[in-house]
Amino acid sequence: MKRCKIQFILPALAGLTLLSACGQNSESEPASEAASAELPNGMTVKEQIEARQGQLKKMGKAFKAISDQLKAGSPDVAQIQTAAAVVPKEAVGMADWFPAGSGPESGVETEALPVIWENTADFNDKVTALQEAAAQLETIAQGGDVAAIGAAFKTTGGTCKACHDKYRLDD
Amino acid sequence: MTTSPSKILVWDWTIRLVHWLMVVLVPLLWWTAEEGHMDWHKSLGLTMFSLVLFRLIWGFMGSWTARFVPMVRRIGSLRPYLGTLRNRQFAPTFGHSPLSVLSVFALLLALVTQVTTGLFSVDVDGLESGPLAIWISFETGREAADIHEFNFKILSLLIGLHLIAIAIYRFVIKEKLVWPMISGHRDRQDFPSDLLPENRAHLLPVIIAATLSLASVFALVNLG
Repeated sequence: MKRCKIQFILPALAGLTLLSACGQNSESEPASEAASAELPNGMTVKEQIEARQGQLKKMGKAFKAISDQLKAGSPDVAQIQTAAAVVPKEAVGMADWFPAGSGPESGVETEALPVIWENTADFNDKVTALQEAAAQLETIAQGGDVAAIGAAFKTTGGTCKACHDKYRLDD
Repeated sequence: MTTSPSKILVWDWTIRLVHWLMVVLVPLLWWTAEEGHMDWHKSLGLTMFSLVLFRLIWGFMGSWTARFVPMVRRIGSLRPYLGTLRNRQFAPTFGHSPLSVLSVFALLLALVTQVTTGLFSVDVDGLESGPLAIWISFETGREAADIHEFNFKILSLLIGLHLIAIAIYRFVIKEKLVWPMISGHRDRQDFPSDLLPENRAHLLPVIIAATLSLASVFALVNLG
């Protein structure tokens, strides 16, 4: 009886392993197809994801430039102004960087969570909040008041975090 | 020896204080990073930096069991030491055993890597950064942060090994290692030799090492 069971279990396991291997194959193939699928805006999913990552990195760079100056004993206001002008410029059209189909289901490496496309209205609100805060930061930076810039920088950073906490994979 | 004749000082008070502060700081540093309390993470990280630096300086001017040169020399007797573990002819080492010397150096290397990369790390949004990140680009700061994150896994692994080793010594070899790390002392008769080195923490080197490590932290804060 026992032997019988083992004789059944082993081929069953082997079969399951094969099946799951097949499953993986059939899953990964449409994924690479999805990556090169064209979006309504004419970009492929891969291009779209890489483009938005590039934009966000530029903004991260600009934030670091501002944060570096705010940390310094005597901040260089001109450098803050240059960096603060980058953020609203690079953030233009941000809501459109996340068309349906450009999430992790495409198989392209992205930290964007699927929950973005379940809460599009809230996601877009958060994007708008960043764009407004960044515009405000640029205006205040032109004024040159370091304390006010520091406060506006915090507010802008808060709008980044508000979105990232909910819609980006925790790293 | 100035201590009571039945006991002998194995770990001086600075070694024990640094050790237990690190035990408290590592989980706190992990937790503050996970929860995004970056102001706390940075302050605690600088505290950790000063502790690691103190330990490194103490390895050159500290008490005998803390010193690196005799520790390195002891690695040469690793093979016979492992033999005594296997033959159950275990005899305690005064200070770090040849095996624990390796563990200490691995842990210190991981801690040095961790605090150094932390000084340069930049978060993915460019909003938070270590005090020296001002000197490097966003991209390099991100690489520092990646190493900072990966090295924490190595550090955790080494701490896990350290705890497992203590458990093995406790339950297999019947050696209690935790109490001496708290009290500093072991039974004098654990060590048959008559010629044990004097092992106290002297005041002047304590002041020099503490001043150097604290001054470095202040310098770091003011550079950034």
